[in-house]
Amino acid sequence: MLSFEQAPPLSASFRFFLTAPWFGVAAGLLLAWEGPEALLSRWSPPALALTHLLTAGFLLQAMCGALLQFIPVATGANVWRPLLIANFVHPALLAGALLLALSLARARTELLPAAEALLGVGLGAFCAVCGLALLRTTTGMSLPALRTAIAALAVTTVLGLLLAQAYTGRLQIALPALTDLHAAWGLGGWALVLLAGVSFTVVPMFQMTPPYPPWLPRLLPATLALALAAASVGVFASAPSWLWSLAIALAAVPAVAFALVTLRLQQRRRRARTDATFAFFRGAMIMLLAAAAACLASSLGPEFAQAQPLPVVIGVLCLVGVFVSAVSGMLYKIVPFIATLKLPHRAGSSLAPPSIKMFIPERSMVAQMRLHFAALALLLACLAIPQLTRLAGVAFALSCAWLGTNLLRGLRVYVALRDQIRADAAVHGS
Amino acid sequence: MTVVIDGRELEPPEPLQRVLAALDVLADGEEMRVLLYCHPVPLISILESNGYAWQETLLEDGTHELRIRRPRP
Repeated sequence: MLSFEQAPPLSASFRFFLTAPWFGVAAGLLLAWEGPEALLSRWSPPALALTHLLTAGFLLQAMCGALLQFIPVATGANVWRPLLIANFVHPALLAGALLLALSLARARTELLPAAEALLGVGLGAFCAVCGLALLRTTTGMSLPALRTAIAALAVTTVLGLLLAQAYTGRLQIALPALTDLHAAWGLGGWALVLLAGVSFTVVPMFQMTPPYPPWLPRLLPATLALALAAASVGVFASAPSWLWSLAIALAAVPAVAFALVTLRLQQRRRRARTDATFAFFRGAMIMLLAAAAACLASSLGPEFAQAQPLPVVIGVLCLVGVFVSAVSGMLYKIVPFIATLKLPHRAGSSLAPPSIKMFIPERSMVAQMRLHFAALALLLACLAIPQLTRLAGVAFALSCAWLGTNLLRGLRVYVALRDQIRADAAVHGS
Repeated sequence: MTVVIDGRELEPPEPLQRVLAALDVLADGEEMRVLLYCHPVPLISILESNGYAWQETLLEDGTHELRIRRPRP
């Protein structure tokens, strides 16, 4: 029988998926430990650590793992030696993100060079390998977005390395402006463009919706790249502040279009039944609209940009509302999807063919999704009612731990089914 | 004779699993007709790397119709 031979081995991606949620647990526990002080400003050491536990930890792990599987499936391109790359990149990102968060949380700058080296080398290798694979293919409506996302990840990494130099006084550069640019490339260029690029393929596939209109996969990456280039000119050429505002307004257009089109496609789905992934995506798209509105409000002038708690609201909306929601929903589909495809061939077996629904119970996914959105509501509410901060942290930690446990359960079912098939094959073969 | 696999209402990866299982028993001269709502990149990679002849047509209702034949000996 033919096999799903283009996709890399299961372990190449699963190690990233199984690690990702535990960074969320760490972020929730850190917030619960630090309390309301942590969210008073985006510049507080705990806020910087929380941000990077979610971005360099949770999201980077999940997105890098997903890309290793998604590039061959969506574009037909082969990533060079995916298992070797995973063996190298996964521990580098894991250790790098933990060291970075620890360094930022405790303002221990002596840890920063090690974090820089691990993240720089790990992400450099990842971008090079994925970038080369994407340059060698011309297939798939997700391709322009994937190429842009990888380029944006490389820019985000370089800006992050520059920031680390500036943070420790090794480089004289305007820290706030460079931080905004690093965040813009990371969230708007890497995370949002990747989310859109993956959605162009998987939303119609998994949620049974009509396809995205062809103009969106073409225009979204180009417009966001143009907006980020304008923002970069604004920062490095010390251009007037209106250029930054213009860049944000320009970036908001494709972001809002992506959210509205996805919500409309979900309304026009061919299957009436909804599941956890559907709800996670709907929530993520509504949060994307809210985040775009908050970003536009912050671009009206410096008095808005620095008005507390707007920067923290934008952070919570983007990181937890949009990206953790969408990534969680995506993981609930791609983990069972890959597990189903990677089960050994069962020709002549008496066992029933595997179904994607066998791996993680739907009830458990839906309950975890509800806890996630409750935690998000608490995280937003605690910006107005600081007494809720520790509760919000605990709720978010519990939600992420539940996600991690659900994914682990999917892996356990895979192992049990694989062993059963092998045992059955041995009986039939003997 | 034509074998038909309608994967339009099935959740991935079930259509791919069904097609791969059916290709195992596709006889010489037989044709397989696969109906999907998307362009199946993984399936096409598998067909090409194993020498199957295939043709894709986009139907008016948005269905991608694939006609597949065994490789010539």
